[in-house]
Amino acid sequence: MLIPRRVKHRKQHRPDRHGAAKGGTHVNFGEFGIQALEHAYVTNRQIEAARIAMTRHIRRGGKVWINIYPDRPLTKKPAETRMGSGKGSPEWWVANVKPGRVMFELSGVAEPVAREALRRAIHKLPMKCRVVKREVGEG
Amino acid sequence: MPEVRIAAETREEFGKGAARRIRRAGRVPAVLYGHGTETRHLNLPGHDLMLALKTPNVLLRLDGLNNGSEIALPKAVQRDPIKGFLTHVDLILVRRGEKVTVEVPVRVTGEVFPGGVLDQQLVQIPVEAEATHIPQGIDIDVDGMQVGEAVHAGDLKLPHGVSLQVEPDTLVLHVIAPAAEEAAEEAAEEEPAAPEPVTEAAASGEGEQGG
Repeated sequence: MLIPRRVKHRKQHRPDRHGAAKGGTHVNFGEFGIQALEHAYVTNRQIEAARIAMTRHIRRGGKVWINIYPDRPLTKKPAETRMGSGKGSPEWWVANVKPGRVMFELSGVAEPVAREALRRAIHKLPMKCRVVKREVGEG
Repeated sequence: MPEVRIAAETREEFGKGAARRIRRAGRVPAVLYGHGTETRHLNLPGHDLMLALKTPNVLLRLDGLNNGSEIALPKAVQRDPIKGFLTHVDLILVRRGEKVTVEVPVRVTGEVFPGGVLDQQLVQIPVEAEATHIPQGIDIDVDGMQVGEAVHAGDLKLPHGVSLQVEPDTLVLHVIAPAAEEAAEEAAEEEPAAPEPVTEAAASGEGEQGG
């Protein structure tokens, strides 16, 4: 499970959920990728579940890249607690994903296998996504 | 490579408002520069340009410029990350017979020997070629390649008049064994439940004191 080793601040403000991805919008390492079409906080558990779904489908062969990292903590107050008394305790580690971001990449397998593996991985993610293919030769 | 004729118009108004008006009209803002000339601001027909840019390193003939027509290569293409429409194009002026350095796609054909995984390190390779004779791609046949075999830049068969712009020993692709990756994958899956983020964060909170 992905988790930061050290953090500067244990509790942070909630990440901003506006705008589109500024970078990381192309497939750079593999041949196919999963691109986010909506904003979402993707937890480290979801990232791991997607990775497992993908690697189990491709079995032998193939290479997977994870381009996002869950480096933002989200906090939660216990149930049935009165408001106030400070911020809740850290509960999740999330990656703040914006539309357009290519989160996972895959290579080394045939196209139908890659598409099926990525489709399975998309089911583990909390937002609408699509499978994208690498494009080359556009300067 | 054949030239694609594009009807260019000179752009008179600038800024995001003007650029958005141009895009709403189905055109694409562009700039043309190179050879020490003054940068020219243009707008180009969106659909024609989109079709032209499907060919890598397409040679564009821009008609309708103040001083006749010019030939240019796409230098940088900006697209909307979600919808994929063109938002802006940088064009670089070229002349006939001039040598230019461009990145051409590496096209892989065939299947590697069963049991091997093809690891392609370079998907585009920088080459120097005449502006009017840029290859559309460089083909590599990987049929029957065994684990451990590799193709370096020096092994590529380049068309006449094209030269490499990378070291000949640069790795383009190789065939690797999947076994090691699979073993790592199994080990990762069998790991016990990950520690709770809260405890992890609390431990790292010590660093916060010093800051």
